[in-house]
Amino acid sequence: MSSDILGNLKKAILDYDPDAAAEWARKAVEAGLDPADALSAMTDAIRVIGEGFSAGDLFLPDLVGGADAMTAATPIIEEAIQRTGAKRETVGVVVIGTVYGDIHTIGKTMVATLLQAEGFTVHDIGINVTADAFVAGVRKYKPDILAMSALMTMTSPEQRKVIATLQTEGLRDSVKIMVGGGAITQEFADSIGADGYDPTAPGAAKLARALVGR
Amino acid sequence: MSFTRGFARQFPPLKVLTEEQVEEIHRGTLQVLWSTGVYIEHERALKLLESNGCKVDYDAMRVRMPPALVEECIRQAPSCFPAPARDPQQTLMIGGNNLCLAVAPGHKTVDPETWEPREATRKENYDAVRILDALPTVHFFSPYTPYFGFQGVPSCMAMLESLAARIRNSTKFQCVGFSNDSEVFAIEMAQAVGIEILGTCAWAPPLALYRDAVESTFRIAEAGFCLRVISGQMMGGTAPASIAGAIVTNNAEVLSGLVLAQLIRPGMRVLAKDFTAPMNMNTGAPAFGGIEIALHNAACNQVFQRYGVPLDNTTAYPNSKMPDYQSASEKAFRVFTAGLSGGNTLLFHGSVHGELTHHPIQAILDDDMAGMVGRFMQGVTVNEEALALDLIEQVGPVPGHFLNAAHTRKWWKLEQFLPQSADRLTYPEWLNSGKRSCVDIARQRMDAILSSHRPQPLTPSQEEAVERVLERARAHYRKQGLITDDEMGQYRESMKSPNYPYE
Repeated sequence: MSSDILGNLKKAILDYDPDAAAEWARKAVEAGLDPADALSAMTDAIRVIGEGFSAGDLFLPDLVGGADAMTAATPIIEEAIQRTGAKRETVGVVVIGTVYGDIHTIGKTMVATLLQAEGFTVHDIGINVTADAFVAGVRKYKPDILAMSALMTMTSPEQRKVIATLQTEGLRDSVKIMVGGGAITQEFADSIGADGYDPTAPGAAKLARALVGR
Repeated sequence: MSFTRGFARQFPPLKVLTEEQVEEIHRGTLQVLWSTGVYIEHERALKLLESNGCKVDYDAMRVRMPPALVEECIRQAPSCFPAPARDPQQTLMIGGNNLCLAVAPGHKTVDPETWEPREATRKENYDAVRILDALPTVHFFSPYTPYFGFQGVPSCMAMLESLAARIRNSTKFQCVGFSNDSEVFAIEMAQAVGIEILGTCAWAPPLALYRDAVESTFRIAEAGFCLRVISGQMMGGTAPASIAGAIVTNNAEVLSGLVLAQLIRPGMRVLAKDFTAPMNMNTGAPAFGGIEIALHNAACNQVFQRYGVPLDNTTAYPNSKMPDYQSASEKAFRVFTAGLSGGNTLLFHGSVHGELTHHPIQAILDDDMAGMVGRFMQGVTVNEEALALDLIEQVGPVPGHFLNAAHTRKWWKLEQFLPQSADRLTYPEWLNSGKRSCVDIARQRMDAILSSHRPQPLTPSQEEAVERVLERARAHYRKQGLITDDEMGQYRESMKSPNYPYE
């Protein structure tokens, strides 16, 4: 029975079906299954999709479809984890967003999804995120990694501002910072004091594992 | 063959849609504008739209436009308009059966040996403008061209330094973008020099127009200049994956911008743009080399011919990283399609790889390709002299020939476009030339232009005015905190050359 529910939860994500994913997540909670197991089934599904994407067998609409299904089910399972105090397996916690003045979402979403596939717990705080909002995200989620995206040359200096604000707030050393986006280069990442940069989304996911020593 | 003022197409445009399909797309656009509406982040614009019959939800900043208003504004926009250049001989007519080509920008220059990107120097930027000024098929300059910026210049000053370089080193018509209110200083600079510029209103697809784009629209309209309304959508990402659906979203965005412009300044000159590319579903980047862009552009050109509004086509960026077979085919499909199907403008020259790199050698190669398309668009002259029936009768069958005829001496020059970089040598000649490729020949032409072409300089008072506006902008951005102490130091250092501003 429990394996049926978890199998269906996994299948719903592999079918890119948010409604079914939420429905099977609710059934898992109602059946009293360990929410950590449910989360693990969901991560398995997103890993399959992530691997398919990295291998070139699946494409962005599949990756984002899987991420949407996962996102629909996650709050239900997260709530059960909070309530029951279940222990969750995670490689690390990531806060991710696109910097202020920049409304590009796709690259950031790709990285967020592949980080989930790598086993990270990801808090996506959206696009057009101010330096203060990034700092608030770091305070709230206490992440191992802060990931920032900037697609445009004009908005890339905002990444420097976020790092400076974290410094001022005494939070810089509490978190590893990785940056990416069309306008970013390794040289720029070094110049603003980021801990890591990669030009591709799959590369960013691998970089994150390296940054947390996994 | 003179191409100074664009290419005039002498035959009916290519049609890829039936008349009924055009109407279906138009009806779909009106439905989206009325039912779905668009997001406009600007209270003054929302009030203006509401007072003209739009339904406005101020909390959501959502505007729904009645079809009658949209159609009235389409009628009000001119179907073609003059785009005045600093040199009146280079003033363009944008619209109708004319195709005008412009520079396609790149973030950086490239090493022409390795094709690796690097930041351009001030001298390379100014020299590149001078080369583009010399190319007859570059009809005008787009914003932040040729490079997005150059060494020593803080990013907030890139647009204005670019405009200054183009005004100084070219007499052609100029277009500007907007970033952090840069258009305020761009307008001042243009007015100080006594020229007009084409401003920009850029949408953030799907269906969103942010405050800075609306501010730019108001400012350009109030300055009495013309406006380019662009989207910049990716099919499958920020627009439907279907071409018809992506025409509807592009239409909804650029027509909303057109409506706003007409309400601010009735009769305002508007150049709409179809800036659409499919998304590369492996990487999320635009598939700029895709043939689907040409198809989308051709269909949009047909729709805008129904509207009687000039249309700019998707910038001809290649996905290739260097001038090679892929690059040439990607560019050729785009410029040829624009020419055949009635695109009115196209950013074309110089892009080496997407928006990343630009190089004058590439622009020189593109000048040849553009010239070929311009020649094609001139079509076939059919009259008594061209039919040459008397000559054919006179020459008769072999051993007769046409090489010694006066008709040949006149007509071959009228009919043949002579590319300047293409290798047309025989094989032995090519061996003797040191096996020169078209890239080698283009490099020689570049050197020749640099040693000989001197654009008409600004007058001393115009030059002072440009520098004065730049100084005001520098002070403004410094005060805003957008230029750090370090950046300002490097910037000032970069201006110390005795040949400033040219190197």
